[in-house]
Amino acid sequence: MSLHEVNPSVKAFAVVISILILSVFFDPITPLVTILWVVTVTFIFGRVSFKKWLLLFAPFLFIAIIYVWSTMLFPRLQAGDSVIWEWGFLTLTAEGFQRGVSLGLRVLSFATLSIMFTLTTKPTDFLLSLMQQCKLPPKLAYGIMAGYRFLPLIKEEFQTLQNAHRVRGVARARTIPEKVQQLKRYVIPLLAGAIRKAERTALAMESKGFTGEKNRIFYREITVSRIDWLFFILMISAVILSAFISWKLGYLQYYNREL
Amino acid sequence: MSLYDQIKAEQLAFSYEDSNIFTELTFSIEKNQSVLLLGPSGSGKSTLAYCLNKLYPEAVDGELKGSITFEGRNLDDFKPGELNQKIGIVFQDPESQFCMLTVEEEVAFGLENFHVPRAEMEAKIDRALEWVGLQAEKKTTIHTLSGGQKQKLALACVLVLQPEVIILDEPTANLDPLSSSDLVKTIARLKKERPFTLIVIEHKLDDWVELIDRCLVLDSSGTILFDGTLVQCFGEFAPYLQKEGIWLPKVVEAGITAKNAGMYKGERLPLRNHELLSGLEDSVAFLKKENKTISKKEPILEVSDLHARGHLKNINLLIHKGELTALVGANGSGKTTLSKCLAGLLPLMQGEIHFLDVPLSKWKEKDLFQRLGYVFQNPEHQFITDSVYEEIAFGLEHRATALDNLEKIGLEKHANAHPYSLSQGQKRRLSVATMLVHEQELLILDEPTFGQDANTAREIMEILDEKSGAVFMITHDMELVDQYADTVHVLDEGEIIFSGAPESLWDNHEVVNRARLKLPFRKQLQKDLVRRESHVTT
Amino acid sequence: MLAKWKLREVIVLSVLAVVFAVVYLLFVQLGNVLFGLFGLIGYDIIFGIWFIVSIIAAYIIRKPGAAFLSETVAATVEVMLGNAVGPQLILSGMIQGLGAEAVFAATKWKNYSTWVLMAAGMGSSVFSFAWGFYVSGFAALSPGYVTAMFFVRLVSGALLAGLLGKYLSEGLARTGALNSFPLGKEHKRNVTV
Ligand SMILES: Nc1ncnc2c1ncn2[C@@H]1O[C@H](COP(=O)(O)OP(=O)(O)OP(=O)(O)O)[C@@H](O)[C@H]1O
Ligand SMILES: Nc1ncnc2c1ncn2[C@@H]1O[C@H](COP(=O)(O)OP(=O)(O)OP(=O)(O)O)[C@@H](O)[C@H]1O
Ligand SMILES: [Mg+2]
Ligand SMILES: [Mg+2]
Repeated sequence: MSLHEVNPSVKAFAVVISILILSVFFDPITPLVTILWVVTVTFIFGRVSFKKWLLLFAPFLFIAIIYVWSTMLFPRLQAGDSVIWEWGFLTLTAEGFQRGVSLGLRVLSFATLSIMFTLTTKPTDFLLSLMQQCKLPPKLAYGIMAGYRFLPLIKEEFQTLQNAHRVRGVARARTIPEKVQQLKRYVIPLLAGAIRKAERTALAMESKGFTGEKNRIFYREITVSRIDWLFFILMISAVILSAFISWKLGYLQYYNREL
Repeated sequence: MSLYDQIKAEQLAFSYEDSNIFTELTFSIEKNQSVLLLGPSGSGKSTLAYCLNKLYPEAVDGELKGSITFEGRNLDDFKPGELNQKIGIVFQDPESQFCMLTVEEEVAFGLENFHVPRAEMEAKIDRALEWVGLQAEKKTTIHTLSGGQKQKLALACVLVLQPEVIILDEPTANLDPLSSSDLVKTIARLKKERPFTLIVIEHKLDDWVELIDRCLVLDSSGTILFDGTLVQCFGEFAPYLQKEGIWLPKVVEAGITAKNAGMYKGERLPLRNHELLSGLEDSVAFLKKENKTISKKEPILEVSDLHARGHLKNINLLIHKGELTALVGANGSGKTTLSKCLAGLLPLMQGEIHFLDVPLSKWKEKDLFQRLGYVFQNPEHQFITDSVYEEIAFGLEHRATALDNLEKIGLEKHANAHPYSLSQGQKRRLSVATMLVHEQELLILDEPTFGQDANTAREIMEILDEKSGAVFMITHDMELVDQYADTVHVLDEGEIIFSGAPESLWDNHEVVNRARLKLPFRKQLQKDLVRRESHVTT
Repeated sequence: MLAKWKLREVIVLSVLAVVFAVVYLLFVQLGNVLFGLFGLIGYDIIFGIWFIVSIIAAYIIRKPGAAFLSETVAATVEVMLGNAVGPQLILSGMIQGLGAEAVFAATKWKNYSTWVLMAAGMGSSVFSFAWGFYVSGFAALSPGYVTAMFFVRLVSGALLAGLLGKYLSEGLARTGALNSFPLGKEHKRNVTV
């Protein structure tokens, strides 16, 4: 089995539902066990390059650290919390510290799930699958596809626009107000051009008989098999199992204690 | 009217809010006819094509009056999507007519829309790609195709649906000479295999003459100037068309010139080379071309040993003051890339460019672009303001002169329009004009005349020719090279394989073939003449 | 919902969403800087920018669903771009879009005055904050801090989404690119009068 072959919609649902479940818990062990599980799965069944993975993961590490200190510095104080350190309006409690760490780990658990999805899913397959399995209306799906196709065009357009300004003798912006002014000179024409092109594309699609009708025959069919469901069940069970382990170790904390 | 009329238009009128594009068009097209739709730039040809396909007026805020019927049924009675199965159209702008990422998916898109069973799709896609010669690109991302390949793909997408009517809006505008005759040949062959009605909008007619049964000519105010057979159209009406600024096939044009000079004795104007030759009294005298006297001037731009993105390598070239230099080559050979390097718009990987004896990298950008102008291949890339007037006035010291300049290129009526709302040809003219109003020492232009009618193309070339500074232009039009260029460089797969006077290029068959060029009409005629004479003597 | 939409409108909406998906991803970088400087509240300062496409699309196209769909599509495209923002982002996009849509719905999709646009930006703020409260566990933070975050995000939604969105859309209308859309037509009427 390869993660690349799992149906994209099923994979997406597995990720989203895992995240929704993880959000219920406020202890460090649940996300930690999940992280270990997801990373193992990503590298064994996804065969992704470690370098790429790390590149995507690094920013989340940074976010997680900020989370930890934000939560530590501005914790929600509860009766019975044991204060470790106090200075002015800042109070550090043992419980606050633990909650900070668990929120940081939560961010990282979301990140590992997302990265697993991102590195093993082709964008167009995802879109085709959303249309074929999740009943995303073809009008919107092909609209997104057409828009997605515009991306390299827009990037090129941006460079050309810069060149056009240079050739036409618009001076380079130096000060900040100049830069803002220049940004506006780029953004509006870029959007205007994109909108006009979009209208032409719509025309071309209609001329090829596209009406947005629901029952289409697909040249590339994306299927759902038993393996896909197996994957789904495995992922969700793993998250629940993480919570179970945390409970066994006596760490588990629910949401409702916080409310 | 004939029983076989497939498309019938009656009292057709189209207007945008503030202007009428055409009024009272009445015509009909028979099944399986091949019709050429001619007219000056901006006369409403593209607009008419959209109307025939029911895409307009829904898609724009314009108003359509009159009626169009297809096989006896009014267009309004067709269900959404139904008509599109019968009438296919290839649009003028190849860039924005795709919605998928890869070539095969794009071709499949149309088949999916019409519920073709999946089992049949693959074979149909393969066949369509074979017709246009894109088999090897089946899995390629559309974005990485060259302009010419995109035009071929657009055609394949329509051909695969096997519609009863195919409308082509300037399908060869950006193709190199050989690709464009290949494309016409493909269409002719397909039409023989499986007949369909063909409506072609085109400025350059020479390749199409063999295929076309009939001409429909619009004039600049959008009324029908002529409707009839090809022979009548060019044999009799040619001088009128010429006055309207409509391109004529080269033979016809030569015929008119010869006739005016009293050298042609044929009854009606010639449509084929051999007709012209047999009608000429003294063909040798007619074909002589006065040689331009070239006095080598000092160089203005020097390129030495340039390597750059894509596949440009070992480029050495010189541009001289006051000269008109042409750069030619096949689609994708690297012309645009090279020209951008010359203007300092792309980084070099190796080598050096000197402009006025100073390395490009040492120039201050502001000073550089006061002395060097650049016109982009895609006209829309040139525009940086919201109105036609502002485009011209931009950077001018005397803004009042802007209106004069607009008049010169025939756009004074559109002064307040947004540059993007112009017709393809008008956009091209405007983008060239924005650069012509300044007095640069070197002007670099990427295909300045594509999509132009005869008058405006001549206008542009004459302005360029008279310009005191040096001009460096990319073109696929060998007639322009022959007529105006002092020096021509040929680019092939990123390497310059020829530099010299046009005359010596035409005699170098190996280079001409390798770079997918064609001989200009004058040279073709000479060749035909030689062949004929050797026939006569043997 | 889409049945009443013309293909042209859907494609234009998607293209807007694509452009802003890129903008959104760029702003994540800026967000991270602010985040590093000010902590969690740093994000809230610029959070409004992530709702802007809702406002622009609704203001231009003026059809039920424009705000919701554009934000959802923008989020989908962000996922397709693969910058490690996973599929849960689509859910966030939908919730943000719903926030703005709710405000437009309250005017029966008739009123697009400045105040409504700002309120729509704030609607997105409210919805997205509620969602963030759950998934990001704001419950673990001190109530005072959370309240401050909420108000900063509210202002950001009104200004960066509502006002900036209006400003950009009107710049666009001036180019004539929107002439076949309600905003463009309104603009033309105002100019000729
Ligand atoms: N959306 C629009 N709004 C206003 N005017 C328009 C619009 N589109 C086209 N026009 C005008 O309609 C006229 C006819 O345009 P059209 O594209 O049909 O010309 P054309 O005959 O195809 O010219 P070309 O040979 O240059 O392609 C032009 O003058 C153009 O400025
Ligand atoms: N941005 C780019 N990135 C990578 N390759 C490119 C890029 N632009 C062009 N190329 C490639 O470089 C080659 C030369 O392209 P270029 O546009 O210079 O050709 P050209 O001679 O101007 O062709 P045409 O006659 O079709 O305009 C092509 O093979 C093209 O695919
Ligand atoms: Mg046209
Ligand atoms: Mg080129």
